[in-house]
Amino acid sequence: MSRFLSKDFLSGVMFIAFGLAAIFFGRHLAVGTPVRMGPGYVPNMLGYILMVLGLIIAGIAMLKGGEPVETPRLRPIAMVTIGVVVFGLLFERTGLLPALIALVLLASLGGSEFKLTEVIGNIVVLAILCILVFKVGLGMNVAIVNGIW
Amino acid sequence: MAMFDHLALGLQVAVSLQNLLYAFIGCMVGTLIGVLPGIGPTATIAMLLPITFHLPPVSALIMLAGIYYGAAYGGSTTSILVNLPGESSSVVTCIDGYQMARNGRAGAALSVSALGSFFAGTVGTVIVVLFAEPLTQMAQKFGPSDYCSLMALGLVAAVILASGSVMKAIAMVFLGLLVGLVGTDVNTGAQRFTFDIPELSDGIDFAPVAMGLFGIAEIVVNLERKLTRSGTIKVASLWPTREEIRRAIPAALRGTGLGSILGVLPGGGPTLAAFSSYTLEKKISKTPEIFGKGAVEGVAAPESANNAAAQTSFIPMLTLGIPSNAVMALMVGAMIIQGIQPGPEVMTKKPDLFWGMIVSMWIGNLMLVIINLPMIGMWVKLLTVPYRFLAPAILLFCSIGAYSLANSTFHVYQVAIFGIMGYIFSRLGCEGAPFLLGLVLGPQMEEYFRRAMLLSRGDASVFITRPISLGLLIATAILLLLMALPNIKRAREKAFQEEEG
Repeated sequence: MSRFLSKDFLSGVMFIAFGLAAIFFGRHLAVGTPVRMGPGYVPNMLGYILMVLGLIIAGIAMLKGGEPVETPRLRPIAMVTIGVVVFGLLFERTGLLPALIALVLLASLGGSEFKLTEVIGNIVVLAILCILVFKVGLGMNVAIVNGIW
Repeated sequence: MAMFDHLALGLQVAVSLQNLLYAFIGCMVGTLIGVLPGIGPTATIAMLLPITFHLPPVSALIMLAGIYYGAAYGGSTTSILVNLPGESSSVVTCIDGYQMARNGRAGAALSVSALGSFFAGTVGTVIVVLFAEPLTQMAQKFGPSDYCSLMALGLVAAVILASGSVMKAIAMVFLGLLVGLVGTDVNTGAQRFTFDIPELSDGIDFAPVAMGLFGIAEIVVNLERKLTRSGTIKVASLWPTREEIRRAIPAALRGTGLGSILGVLPGGGPTLAAFSSYTLEKKISKTPEIFGKGAVEGVAAPESANNAAAQTSFIPMLTLGIPSNAVMALMVGAMIIQGIQPGPEVMTKKPDLFWGMIVSMWIGNLMLVIINLPMIGMWVKLLTVPYRFLAPAILLFCSIGAYSLANSTFHVYQVAIFGIMGYIFSRLGCEGAPFLLGLVLGPQMEEYFRRAMLLSRGDASVFITRPISLGLLIATAILLLLMALPNIKRAREKAFQEEEG
């Protein structure tokens, strides 16, 4: 069981998957000849190399076993990713300030200690800093709050 | 004496008020991120890259360079005072630096490391000046196959730096090369792996990749680990004793020498230099038992070595346009964004940029001594800022930076995607640095590969019949063989275990 959940085995599987994906999604690209290589020549080659390397890595891991993968804690990675995506969604529509508040709030929820007063303080400091650096200092053409500022 | 003319030209560029200011900003930011654990120079430079669009090319590169070697200085402060390396090249400084601090010699450790770094930085800069021109002349004789082999050497060498399995690092290089090919094929105009997303037709920008792979992954891993800090140590006097000076000087000299050499090698760089020089000191010391208990040599040597290497690692980037590590890959990107094609032409076409940057590196090193010694109290205070404040701030700057790359939220989403990928990579023990180098070199390498094959009418033997290319490939093979040798493998594993411990 643990043999298949080792870091090495899973990364081998990952490389095989990337190799397969490269060959599959690049199947419509002309391969060409070694003299006149088509757009698909190098990607195809890399796809096969990745598959071979992945097989070797996974194979060695199967024989020798390896370090088990730590159970991932999903909250930090989920909150951080959601924070960045929400920032992207809000930035142009609502302006910098709402996007900033959402990002800092969500990212802080990803950590293990969350105190609302601290987070609000952090938001205030970062908002002032960002406005000074990006708006005043660098003259970036962004709205602080869309339609108002 | 052409060299002095060059230096005079460089000096003229470097001491302009604006460039001095950007050198200073770069050094301050570099020291800051060196001091703050949880964010390295790669992520910071990726984050600040968009800001440099607004600057003239020389100032932009001067600032980015300042961040890079500034981080090598700043990292030592936290290693010594709180046993927490700010970034990877200061990891071995912890071993003896922190012990010196506990013995009440914190001030001496700090000044030995700052002065050793300054000396090494000066020597490193001189080496860049001496070697840049001959190497550039050599580089102009390079054909497509030679370039291709050189990049192969660089990529293989980058693998040495990766701390995990060699096989996985090689696979990461190939994966990076593959992802680097996303976009429009320059020869035929075909769309490759763009999935009909128009933003992808220009290819994948390496800045969001670096932010995601290094910035976000670092943050998430730190959040999981609940980064905590031990108490800081007070700094009494900055003066080392006469005995400490007597022992530190030869160690700093050896560190400088070793660091300079390892910096020039592709794939070398500050971290490798610091580890090797520490090992060397321990090996040649008459009293190896004092290492780990506060030996001043154990601070002087690696700190000099990492700084010398930080300087000389600019040589392959400036003369050949080949980055030797992830930070240099970002510098190459910064140059391309500024409309400068890195490579041997930079020196002849943009001498002011080339020499200005080199001279400013020395000035920056001088500034760093001033920033690091008298202002040490300020940096120590900064260490008390808890990570739960820093993490959202770093994320925010990454997101704004990514947006301003092209005024497009697409880049922000890219950061999120590569953040998830970076997290998966780190969980699986696959390293981001070889991936990033592959990504940056991918398009160029394919270009040279296709051109070489076209010129040779499809005969792959061109790579072994041209002497330069053959030599480079032999060097690549030797490196691969060396890594497979049990002795070296063990030493490498040991060095990286100490890093994790």
